[in-house]
Amino acid sequence: MSSCQNMPEPYAPPVQRQPFEEGRPHRMMRIVNMSDGDWMAHAVQDIPPSEPSPWKWAGQKPTVKVVARTNQGLRFTIDFSIAQATLKDTGPVTMTFLVNDHTLDSIRYTASGDYHYEKAVPPEWVEPLKDTLLAASIDKMWVAPADGAKLGFILTRIGLTQ
Amino acid sequence: MWQAFWALLGAAATVAACYATGALVVDRVKAPLARTERFPLSFVLGASVLHLIMFALLALKIAYRPVVVGTLVVPIAWAIWKGSWKLKGESFEPLSQPLKSFYSTIFTAFTIVYFFHAWAPESSPDGAGYHLGLVARYLRVHGFEKVITNMYASLSAGVEMLYFPAFAIGKHSSAALVHYAFLVALAMAMFAYGRRIGKPWVGAAGALLVYVSPVVGIDGSIAYNDCGVAAIAFSVFYFLEIWDEVREPLLLIPIGFLAGYCYAAKYTAFVMAIYAVGFVAWRSRRMRATLAVSACAAVMIVPWVAKDWIYAQNPVAPFFNKIFRNPYGRVRTEQEYNDYLTRMGVENKWTLPLEVTVRGEKTGGLIGPIFLLAPVALLALRFREGRRLLLAGLLILTPYLANVGTRFLIPCLPFFALALAMAVSWPPALAAILLFHAVASWPSVIPRYASKYSWRLDRILYKQAIRKIPQDRYLRQNFGGYGIARMIDETVPKGVPVLAVNGLPEAYSTHEILVGFQSAYNDDLADILNAGWDESRQPTRRIIFKFPSTPVRRIRVLQTGVGVPLEEFKAHEVRFFSNGVELPRDPAWRLQAWPNPWDVRMAFDNSPATRWRSWETARPGMYIDADFGKYESVDEVRLDTSFDYANLRLQVEAMNPDRKWAKIAADPETQIIPAPVSIRRWASRELHARGIDYIVMQDTDWGAEDMREDPESWGFQEIAKGYGARIYKVVAP
Repeated sequence: MSSCQNMPEPYAPPVQRQPFEEGRPHRMMRIVNMSDGDWMAHAVQDIPPSEPSPWKWAGQKPTVKVVARTNQGLRFTIDFSIAQATLKDTGPVTMTFLVNDHTLDSIRYTASGDYHYEKAVPPEWVEPLKDTLLAASIDKMWVAPADGAKLGFILTRIGLTQ
Repeated sequence: MWQAFWALLGAAATVAACYATGALVVDRVKAPLARTERFPLSFVLGASVLHLIMFALLALKIAYRPVVVGTLVVPIAWAIWKGSWKLKGESFEPLSQPLKSFYSTIFTAFTIVYFFHAWAPESSPDGAGYHLGLVARYLRVHGFEKVITNMYASLSAGVEMLYFPAFAIGKHSSAALVHYAFLVALAMAMFAYGRRIGKPWVGAAGALLVYVSPVVGIDGSIAYNDCGVAAIAFSVFYFLEIWDEVREPLLLIPIGFLAGYCYAAKYTAFVMAIYAVGFVAWRSRRMRATLAVSACAAVMIVPWVAKDWIYAQNPVAPFFNKIFRNPYGRVRTEQEYNDYLTRMGVENKWTLPLEVTVRGEKTGGLIGPIFLLAPVALLALRFREGRRLLLAGLLILTPYLANVGTRFLIPCLPFFALALAMAVSWPPALAAILLFHAVASWPSVIPRYASKYSWRLDRILYKQAIRKIPQDRYLRQNFGGYGIARMIDETVPKGVPVLAVNGLPEAYSTHEILVGFQSAYNDDLADILNAGWDESRQPTRRIIFKFPSTPVRRIRVLQTGVGVPLEEFKAHEVRFFSNGVELPRDPAWRLQAWPNPWDVRMAFDNSPATRWRSWETARPGMYIDADFGKYESVDEVRLDTSFDYANLRLQVEAMNPDRKWAKIAADPETQIIPAPVSIRRWASRELHARGIDYIVMQDTDWGAEDMREDPESWGFQEIAKGYGARIYKVVAP
C-alpha cells in the first residue's frame, strides 16, 4: 500500500499575503428583479409564474420574500410602472408599500409612468435570517373588457437595500 | 441545413470506418459470421480497433482534422479493395412473414423518433458537458493534455474516441448519431443471435425489449455512451458463443479486443473482461487460450491505465484516491460523488425496481414497466443459452448498486431481455408483451404513468434535425446552459478559464470551464469563493494552545478525534508565538501535512480566504507539521479555523532530539474572532492569484445572491447577464 503513497517533499512557506489597507463592509441588497433566473423562488403572491423578463404585470398585492442578514440600515425599494391604458379607466390609484404586513407608506399616483420608490425600514419590522415579506398594493384593479382579466401595475424590481 | 449535412456525413464516415475495420479483422481471423451478423459484430469490433488508433493519434498529438479524416478513409478503402466491405456469409433460416412485419413495424416507428433526436442539436447535460466537451478540447489542441480541472478527463473514453472523428467532421450531432449506431448494432446483433440459436422470435423480442425501452431511446440518441457499452458487452458474449461452437483459436483475438474495449468504454464494464477470460479458461481448459484473450484485452486496457497513471498519478482515476494518493482527486469529493450515485435520492432500495421501471424520476429515466417481469427470465435457466445469458447479465449487473442511475442498467438489459424472451418463447405471448412494451414506451404515452419529470424523449425533432429550426435558436430556447456558454464566448477573452459553481455545456464554448466539484484544483477554487460569503467557512474560530516556553525545532498540531462522516480537519492559518510575538515565517521552514500534503501552504499564507483541509473524514493521526530548521522558543500555537466541525480533538506535539513526538499542549482555549471586513476581496484576490479572473454564476447557485447584491465588495464587475446567469470579472484583486 505504501508504494501507492505519493508524498511530496515538505514545502517552504509561501509568499505572505498582505492585508487590505482599506475595505468596506458588504452592502446587503435583497432585490428581486423580474429578470432574475430565480425570481419565482421569491414570489409569494400576485405575480403570475413565467420565464424571467424585464417586467411583469402584477395583481393587486404582489408580494415577494427575501432573507436579510441584518435589520440595520435597510431600505425598502421598488421600481414599477403605471400604464396609461389602465390609468385612464381606473383613474388615480393609491399604492401602499408594506414590509412584513406593516404599512411603510401610501402614495397616490395621478399620472402614468415609471416610478422608483424607496424608504428606510424600521429595524424592528425585520427579523434577520428569516423570511421578510415585501409587498406593494394597488387600490384599484383594471379589468379587461374582453375577458375580465384583472391587472394591477407593472413590476420591475422590489426588495431591500442597505 | 449544412450543419445537418455535415452531422450526417461525420457519423456515416465514422460508422463506415468502424465497420470496414471490423470486417477486415473478421475476415483475417476467419470468423464464421452469418450475413446478418456481419454488420453489427464487425462494426463493434472495428470500433474497438479504431478507438485505439484514435487514442494513438491523440497521444502523439497529431490529431489534426486531415489526419483524423484520413484515418477513416484508409480502412474504408482497404476493405473495399480487399472485398471485406461486402455483406457476406451464410444466411440463417428465412423469417416468417408475421415476425418480419411485427418486428419491422415497431422497429421503424421508434427508429424515426430516435434517429431525428440523435440528428437534432445535442442538448443533453453530460453529452454537451464532458463527453463532447473533452472531445472538443482535444480537437482544439490536437491531442491529449494533462487536464487537472476535470475528473471526467480521467475516465476511460473508448466510445468517445469514436465521437472524436465524427465531431471533427460534423460536430455534436455527429457524435450522437455514432452512439445511435451502436444502439442499432446492438438491436441487430440481438436479433441475429436469436436466429443463430434457432429461436428467431426470442432474438426479435429481446432486441425490441431493449430498443424500445424509454431510457435506451433517449440515452442512445444523445452523446452518452451507455448503449455503446451495452453493444460492446453483448458482442463479447456473442463472439464467445461463436468461438465455443467452432473453437477457432484466431477468434480469441476479437474476443480479447472486445473484452478489453469494455473497460476502455466504461470502468464498470470491466466485468465482461472477467467473463471472457473465465469463459475461455472454463471451456478450453488451456492456459494458452486464456493468456491470448487476456493479452488482447490488455492491448485495449493498458493505454487507458497508463494515461491515468501519467496524467493523474492514479491508474484508475478519478476513483480509489485513498489508495492512489494524488494531488488531483480528493477523497471527500470522491466519497460524496459515490454516495450520491449509490443513493440518487432513493433511500429505500426496495422501491428501486418501481423507480427504474415505472417512475423514472429520481434515477433518471425508466426501462419500462414490462421489466417488472424480469424475474420470469429465471425460467430461461432450463436452456444452456439462457444460463449463459443470465450469468453474463448478472455479472454486468454487479456494479449497478454503486450507481443506481437507470441508464446504468442498460449494459445488462440485452442479456435479461433475451433471457426473458427465451423464458416465454411462445410467439403469441411474446407478441403481446412487445405490443404492450411498445405502447407503454411511446413518448406520448409515458407521461400517463411515469413521473412528470422522468428523463425521456417527448417528441420527434425532425425540424430541428434538418435545421429548419436553426440550431442556435433551438438551443438558446430549449437548453439553458447553451445560452450561458455562448455568453461566455461572447464576453470573456479567448483562452481564459472561467470558474463555475455548476456544470455548463462546455462543448459549446471554447473556454475551459472549471466546475466546483470536478477536481481538487476546482475544489480549492470553490472553497475560496465560498469563503467570501459563507460565514461557516470563514476563520471565525481561534484555537489557542498555551504552554511553558519550549525550545523546539519541529512542531505539529495533531488531530486525535474521530469525525462524523465528512467532518474534516481544517486550518486557515497556523501561527507560532513566543512571549506574545509571532515567529515570522521563514523560507527555511519546511511544512508538511497528512492527509492532503499538497495544500499545507494554504495554512501558512496569511490569507483568511484559503485553508488547508484534510478533504476526508477526520481520524486520529492527521496533522499539520512545521520544521523550523533550527531550535525556536515557542509558548503558544494558534490555529485559525472555521466553526464547521465539532468532534475533533487537537493537541500540540514537539519532536524530541531522539526524533520521537511528545505532547506539549492539549485542551486549548477557543475564541470567536471576526472575519475580515474585506473577506470577499481576499477571496477574489486568491482567485486572481490562481489565474481565475472570470466567474459565471447562475442565479440559483449558492452565493449568487451575495455577489449580485454588491459585486463591488468582491472586487467584481458584472460584465454580462442573461439566461438566468451573470458573468463577473475580477477587477480589483
